[in-house]
Amino acid sequence: MKEKKLNTGRILLYVCATVITAVWLIPLLWVLLISFKPSGSGVISIETWFTPPFSHSNYIYVFNNAPILLWLWNSTFIAFITTILVLLICSMAAFAFSNGRFPGYSPMFWVILAGLMVPGEAFLVPLYILFRDLGMLDTYQALVLPHIAVPFGMILLKQFFDGLPKELYEAAKIDGCGIFRLLFVITLPLSRSALAALGIFTFLGSWKEFIWPFISITSAEKMTIPVGIPFFNSEYNEDVTIPMAANVIVSVPVIIVFLIFQKQIVKGISFSGIKG
Amino acid sequence: MALTDTELARRTAGGKMKRKISEYFSYYLLLLPFVFFYGAFTLYPLVHGFIVSFYDWKILGEKQFIGLQNYIKIFHDSVFYSSMWHTILFVLISTPVIVVAGFLFACIVHQPLRGKTVYRLVFFVPIVLSVSVVASVWSAVLDSHTGMLNSIIKLFGSKGEILWLSHPTLAWLAVIVITLWWTVGFNMILYLAGLQEIPDELYEAAKMDGANAWKSLLYITIPALNRITVLITFLQIIASFKIFSQVYLVTQGGPAGATRTIIQYIYEEAFKKYSFGPASAMSYIFCFVLLIISMIQLRISKERE
Repeated sequence: MKEKKLNTGRILLYVCATVITAVWLIPLLWVLLISFKPSGSGVISIETWFTPPFSHSNYIYVFNNAPILLWLWNSTFIAFITTILVLLICSMAAFAFSNGRFPGYSPMFWVILAGLMVPGEAFLVPLYILFRDLGMLDTYQALVLPHIAVPFGMILLKQFFDGLPKELYEAAKIDGCGIFRLLFVITLPLSRSALAALGIFTFLGSWKEFIWPFISITSAEKMTIPVGIPFFNSEYNEDVTIPMAANVIVSVPVIIVFLIFQKQIVKGISFSGIKG
Repeated sequence: MALTDTELARRTAGGKMKRKISEYFSYYLLLLPFVFFYGAFTLYPLVHGFIVSFYDWKILGEKQFIGLQNYIKIFHDSVFYSSMWHTILFVLISTPVIVVAGFLFACIVHQPLRGKTVYRLVFFVPIVLSVSVVASVWSAVLDSHTGMLNSIIKLFGSKGEILWLSHPTLAWLAVIVITLWWTVGFNMILYLAGLQEIPDELYEAAKMDGANAWKSLLYITIPALNRITVLITFLQIIASFKIFSQVYLVTQGGPAGATRTIIQYIYEEAFKKYSFGPASAMSYIFCFVLLIISMIQLRISKERE
């Protein structure tokens, strides 16, 4: 009796899982399929999806008419630089707050903690004015600089550093190890998991950022993927298959990287999400 | 040369003082880059935006102090109210949907099913796509004439084309479905981490006492995930309040402003009309709303502990 009940339950689970998987995947597979339909061949019904002509002409068109590889490079480069700087700057500050007692500790810490609650979307206007006054609108710096001193990252690392055994430091201090050496030789190598988590979270956040690059970047050769794609697509309102080829081009590398590092990415996100 | 006791004490105290100062100095040095960038690109804009909200501030820099007039103007602006209302409506509908879906998805992939890694990957993969790809894909899927969805519906005998993005209710439905598809993986992963921490013994004990799957879900799983549910719910509320890009790219706020959200309105005021003053004032009101939500979250999670 019980065995049977369990079975219907499991069958139900399988059905649910399969249906959701199908719903989640079908739009992506459809996009992949129609991206191979030559522009103008009329994708209007299910029969037309599967009947020839097929060709890779859309892909050639995208490569010839949009600096799409440059956008991929820009996105990667900016996400990479942002991640490195976040890890460096946040771990330095986190180390100071985790191990140091110095005048001004708590006011500084509270001001940074308060920053956790401030949505970045709330100061787009002053940020725009600031970068305009600095003459740095439409530059890579504009995309990196506002995102490197993040309270979230600092506090995440501080919590992790707080959990490391203090005896390690005492021994090293007696050996005459300076604070900077303590951080780089002892703390950071022990914090690889936290650094990886924050790094992945930061990289993904920077890679996916839309609104600020959308406002601050205006020239095509400085664009990142999230801004470049709508910029390119807006010129092809009538034909859907060319933009789909562009979507495939920018998404395939990301999905491949995701499949390779999925364990680390999932871990990084759950670590950052729960601790943050 | 023997030192007297007092001499020794004085010297070591001096050394200690010196060491302490040099230690402070190294900590300040460690903090310097963070404090500098945080001050320059977070605190300063935050304060400056507050000042701008009291000015009539134009793109070319001519500015005039006008006191509370931007705020007064906003409170008489029907578009502000409708954008705020749309945003709140989206928060109210999307939060339970995406949180519950995240929980159910996590439960499914937590079961010892064959191929659960594949399911998990598929549910999660849209997270890594950028919003512009998501928007472009779904615009194509929902296109009334050539879209995938209408083609499939036609297969089941429907003659007319459904104009998904031209009807306010359908457009909102589309936005919620798109957001669900795109972001549910995040909640799923957080819930999955929570599920993995529940000890198996609890379930075994419940089974011994004759509890069925439904009862163990109700009396073990859900209470054990209480803390994480609070966390996910508030993360979702805040994320939903900030909704902009997927709506802007798919519906442009249409039809006729029916899906315009508050961030979109701030964006349009600031960067289409270049009226920085009202946009800043709205940003502050928005910020204030989120601050209150964060306070409530702090309060609730403190109480739980």
